[in-house]
Amino acid sequence: MDKFLQFTVLGLSQAAIFAIAASGLVVTYSTSGIFNFAHGAFGMMAAFTYWQVHVAWDVPTWPAFFLVVFIIAPLFGAFIERVIMRGIEDAPEVVKIVVTVSLMVALLFLAIAIWPQDVAHPVGALVEGGQLEIAGVILPNQRLMIIGVAIAVAIGLWLLLKATRLGVAMRAVVDDRSLLQLNGGRPARTAMMSWAIGAGLAAISGVLLAAEQPPSAITLTFLVVNAYAAAVVGRLRSLPGAFLGAVILGLAVSYTAAYLPSDASIGSFSLSGLPRAVPAIMLFIVIVAQPEARLRAHTTIRTRVVGVPTQRTAAIGALVLVLGTAAIGSMIAGPDLPLVSKALWFGLITVSLVPLTGYAGQVSLAQLTFTGIGALAMAEWGANGSPFAVMLSIGLCALVGAVVALPALRLTGIYLALATASFAIFCTWMVFSQSSLLVGGTVSVPPLSIFGWTADTQFKQLMVTAVAFAIIANILVLLRRSAWGRRLTAMRDSPVACATLGLNLTSTKVGVFALSAAIAGSAGAIAGRSFVSDDFGLTPSLQVTMLAVVGGVGSIGGALLGGLLLGMFPIGSSVFAANAIGVFRFVTVPVTKVITIMPGFMGIGMGRNPDGAASDIARSYRSLIESVPASVVTAIAFAILWISARLEYISNWDFFAGVLVILLAVMPLIGSILPPPGVQVAGRRLAAGLWLVFALLITAVLPWETLVESNGFRILLMLVWAGVVASIAVGVHGAVDLEALGLGTDTAAEIESPDLMGFGTEITRADAQLAARAIGLDGELDRPDTGSTAVTHARSGVEVGST
Amino acid sequence: MSTLEVSDLTVRFGGNLAVSKVSLSVAGGEIVGLIGPNGAGKTTVFNAVSGVITPTSGKVALAGRDISKLPTYKRARAGLGRTFQRLEVFSSLSVRGNVQVGLEIRKSWSRRGGCDRQYLADGADLSADSEVSLILDRLDLLGLADEIVGALPTGQARLVELGRALAARPSIILLDEPASGLDENETTRFGELLRSLSGAGLGILLVEHDVGLVMEVCDSLHVLDFGTVIASGDADEVRQNAAVVDAYLGAGT
Repeated sequence: MDKFLQFTVLGLSQAAIFAIAASGLVVTYSTSGIFNFAHGAFGMMAAFTYWQVHVAWDVPTWPAFFLVVFIIAPLFGAFIERVIMRGIEDAPEVVKIVVTVSLMVALLFLAIAIWPQDVAHPVGALVEGGQLEIAGVILPNQRLMIIGVAIAVAIGLWLLLKATRLGVAMRAVVDDRSLLQLNGGRPARTAMMSWAIGAGLAAISGVLLAAEQPPSAITLTFLVVNAYAAAVVGRLRSLPGAFLGAVILGLAVSYTAAYLPSDASIGSFSLSGLPRAVPAIMLFIVIVAQPEARLRAHTTIRTRVVGVPTQRTAAIGALVLVLGTAAIGSMIAGPDLPLVSKALWFGLITVSLVPLTGYAGQVSLAQLTFTGIGALAMAEWGANGSPFAVMLSIGLCALVGAVVALPALRLTGIYLALATASFAIFCTWMVFSQSSLLVGGTVSVPPLSIFGWTADTQFKQLMVTAVAFAIIANILVLLRRSAWGRRLTAMRDSPVACATLGLNLTSTKVGVFALSAAIAGSAGAIAGRSFVSDDFGLTPSLQVTMLAVVGGVGSIGGALLGGLLLGMFPIGSSVFAANAIGVFRFVTVPVTKVITIMPGFMGIGMGRNPDGAASDIARSYRSLIESVPASVVTAIAFAILWISARLEYISNWDFFAGVLVILLAVMPLIGSILPPPGVQVAGRRLAAGLWLVFALLITAVLPWETLVESNGFRILLMLVWAGVVASIAVGVHGAVDLEALGLGTDTAAEIESPDLMGFGTEITRADAQLAARAIGLDGELDRPDTGSTAVTHARSGVEVGST
Repeated sequence: MSTLEVSDLTVRFGGNLAVSKVSLSVAGGEIVGLIGPNGAGKTTVFNAVSGVITPTSGKVALAGRDISKLPTYKRARAGLGRTFQRLEVFSSLSVRGNVQVGLEIRKSWSRRGGCDRQYLADGADLSADSEVSLILDRLDLLGLADEIVGALPTGQARLVELGRALAARPSIILLDEPASGLDENETTRFGELLRSLSGAGLGILLVEHDVGLVMEVCDSLHVLDFGTVIASGDADEVRQNAAVVDAYLGAGT
């Protein structure tokens, strides 16, 4: 009994932390409409900032706590809202998810860069050690304090929402954003405040967690992720629901840890990871229990028509890829080959997101989990490398994918992202930690073997990957051009219309998800190398999704670019690690760290554009031809590069890299940076131009010759570098406005009037004021609480006026 | 011929009574108008009937079968089609693509390749391609067949929605302001189209602000105000109803 009470107290104190974190999520999500996947990373950053202030700079405990929680974190949250989140509230769900996931990855690696993780950062307890003892139950002060803070937070939020102007405005936004705007409220400012409050709450939970144990960036980030399960209990919108969820979660985690024997198992399947998988399991159960989502109209604001390649183009592309891989592969020296092979292999995984994210507009954060399942299945069933075992493994992944996604797909997109993230965490603790499956923490996938031909060399493995990619790409194009592909586009454009035509949205989406899981699984089954369990974790999956979107998940080429980027970043790190601090000598952060942070920031920038860099680059090429200044500048750039090489200021390899960057990054964009006279072009032209100049300078000074040994690999590295430069430029530029240049293929769907609770036609604020004045209600219009009635009356006023 | 029966439909949004005890019926071959001022609850009735929202109470039956508990897609499969007041086109597909998707979705669930009649075809048996072409032709969209719908003006896009709904071969169709955005000439032709559809046996429930069109084509009318039916009857009866003149039509209409 004592043990029970003891663990109840422990569970409640954990629940308190979950509750604080979850309520922050709920406040941000319900007010701004953006689910902040980076919430955990906010808490983690706050914990390290607290360490910096309290331990490194010696500020006493409570002043440091207040500084971090009430000043730094809210400012940071407001800053993030202002700089990154504003403007994507109305963007498709994919964009919102990818942007916040990218923010999470960026913050994670930023923290690792600033506070090296090989050193512990203990922050010490917040209160004096000591304890109360009531009826034989020991209540440590620390835990009581945590529970006290949670209660204070609950009361504070309650007061805020009930009694302050801001709180009323926040509730009004949750109710109806456009209505608040109409009544003179400022949703943008309200959203900013909600991000500030959310960040503050994340900070409290982060610091409290850090006070329990010395923080590690990854552990802390994912500990707060556990709170997502609590928020889901309140359907992401209810604070009491989130608190209730937190209590259930905290107790469940605590009791599981207390009463599960350490050697518990089912057969040879160990259950030792169960306590850490509890939040994921709970999230899954809650999702299963949710009623099906209401059909929502008007989810897409703007759709761009992405050209679908013909089957012939796809076949030629596949042939070029296979032959090109063979050519480059044969030029690459031994130790570099597996790195290139791995980069292409990542392309296989990012391409798995093309049907799911690119065609159907859904986000999965567990692609590498499916890869892992494919790899484990192949290791288990296909010791001889038989293609039949590959098929079987792929089938298993499709099946698992369908089962995992089914409950979440009945709901809105955010739930699929959450469910897949928790599936990734679940598998990390329950599957990839099984010593019977991964002996000594590694699993070795046997090389593919067909009719006596075995992929037993690095080169053969590279070719297997290239051929697999070619086959999958062609299958995808075939599907895309079929009735099924058309149906997916239709479903993305208007789910509700599809339903009224008799389409079962859930089963259609489950089919797509299963396909996506199968492709990701195939990458595992044909990998022909060994993996450690970390390869299949949540972090690499987040990166896969992020970079697939950065490259352009709407097209196969774009997704391949994303995969190559992902494969190249670790290569870049290892290359630059040999170069010590490299060219960034003036920065204290080593280049390797910069490289780990870059993908996240690219995701934040490019995530705004779900069509990705590849399609923009390809499309914007045409703008060059139209613009004389652009052509002149390009010619001058070439000339300078050529003269520099002739005068031996730069090496021939530098020249070659420069040419690639001009071809792939400068030429496509220069037309919209330097438009023909008289043409107005939107976007941050100056910033994009400066970035291109800067990138060219870096390209020229990078020691290409000494970076890597083999020529083929060097060329590949240059190509990827040019791709990085281009995608950052597109991201910085922000708007490649081809329409302005008369080259538009964009179709902006009609921007619809806000739905005022079913009132159809738009009335502007001016209309409402006019009408309100006419019927003597004008004073009422600016009072949020009577707003709804005022609008109703105003509306009838408009009607009266018009008849 | 099947009949749509809506009885005592009530929809409450929080404290707001949006629709209160609305009953109406639409038989095959009949055009029933639903009119009323903005915010009267017309679109809410459509949403509740088609299953896009769940009504607080009331019953919806199609061809004698209670479909109140069915999700939207099953109601569609039972033979209920609709268009939307605020466009729900597939904006990145072409005009032909939109109609084609409607047809392909129908083929994916109806085993016989057609659960009901194509009312535009006078009972003729059609291949998929010729059915799409026929629909485009009858809606005057053939010339625009390869245009991307997102770039079309609203009036045309509404016709695309109608064509798409017809491709699913409903027996009863709900049209939400289908003629807004059409010019006078187009509206006249549209009225004739509705007449010929109903003549072939399709049941139509029509929400429309163009009072002229409504009075012209509808066999009977229901007038909705503040969520309740304040008058029902044929065009003349409604036109002379004092409450309707007060709430909606205004004097002199």
